[in-house]
Amino acid sequence: MTDRTDFEKRTQEVLEESTGRLDGRTRSRLTQARHAALAQLEQPARIWWRSYVPAGAAAAVAVLAVVLWSGPMGPGKPPFQAANPVEDMELLADADAPDFVSDSVDLEFYEWAAGEVES
Amino acid sequence: MTAFVTLGGVYTTPVFTPNFGVGRSRDQDLMTTSRALDQFLTSVERRAFKIAQLGLRNDDDALDAVQDAMMKLVQSYSARPVDEWRPLFYRILSNGIRDMQRRRTVRGRIMAWLPVRDAEDDEEFDPIAQAPSHDAGPAKRLELDEAIGVLETAVAELPPRQQQAFLLRNFEGLDVNETASAMGCSEGSVKTHYFRALENLRAKLGEVF
Repeated sequence: MTDRTDFEKRTQEVLEESTGRLDGRTRSRLTQARHAALAQLEQPARIWWRSYVPAGAAAAVAVLAVVLWSGPMGPGKPPFQAANPVEDMELLADADAPDFVSDSVDLEFYEWAAGEVES
Repeated sequence: MTAFVTLGGVYTTPVFTPNFGVGRSRDQDLMTTSRALDQFLTSVERRAFKIAQLGLRNDDDALDAVQDAMMKLVQSYSARPVDEWRPLFYRILSNGIRDMQRRRTVRGRIMAWLPVRDAEDDEEFDPIAQAPSHDAGPAKRLELDEAIGVLETAVAELPPRQQQAFLLRNFEGLDVNETASAMGCSEGSVKTHYFRALENLRAKLGEVF
């Protein structure tokens, strides 16, 4: 700075004097702060994609939630419902219901097939 | 600290590398940068603390602000040319001080509703803190004590922008251009703030100084 007045010089001197009088605790904490800041340089370089990991994880969870909610089990498609046992019994007991096991079914064939699988 | 975003507008030139030469290992480069940063931070830390202390009127807050500024400078701007560090550092510090002042205003409104607690009760005796830092003759010391007290009170009472301009220009010794970068304003504004700060201080300190 050029053309500084006596007032400016005097105020600067007083502030410098005040700065020189900082107590031990303050000086020590400033040194610690400086070392903490410089320690950042010694840490291994940050891998760029690591900073995106939290956001990526959150996005993945959100996508998964959407898929699960609106996918096969989603509201558009009613979820699989377990067979109602009462209806099953009615169906089996119904005389007009199709025969699941009847004379027309070749039971011997199924027994032979099962035997082949086991052997 | 959101205020940093504005830094991009001031320093847009992609730069540099302090002496990152061909054939040098990364460790050597890091050591060079680390040494340069250490020297720089050592050269500014006490004045930076004083500036923060006058702006915040609280030692712990001032230390936090200085540490924050150091961390951010090293983290984000260590690759900048060395001669840009000073205005950058003070820009970061100024933003930090301003943010703290704003937070304090909000906190003050909330705390006004709570019972008052004496902060002195929390203070423990710290022998390091009590260590005398300089020795001077009693009369001279008394005179300086008075001058320091009066000046610091007057500076602390300046409007924030005048205070910044005064401390950066007259105390830290930044030129008008660097001060404008640090304050995020035009050189004309710096001159105006600085002039008004001097007028204010002269009016208050005329008899003492």
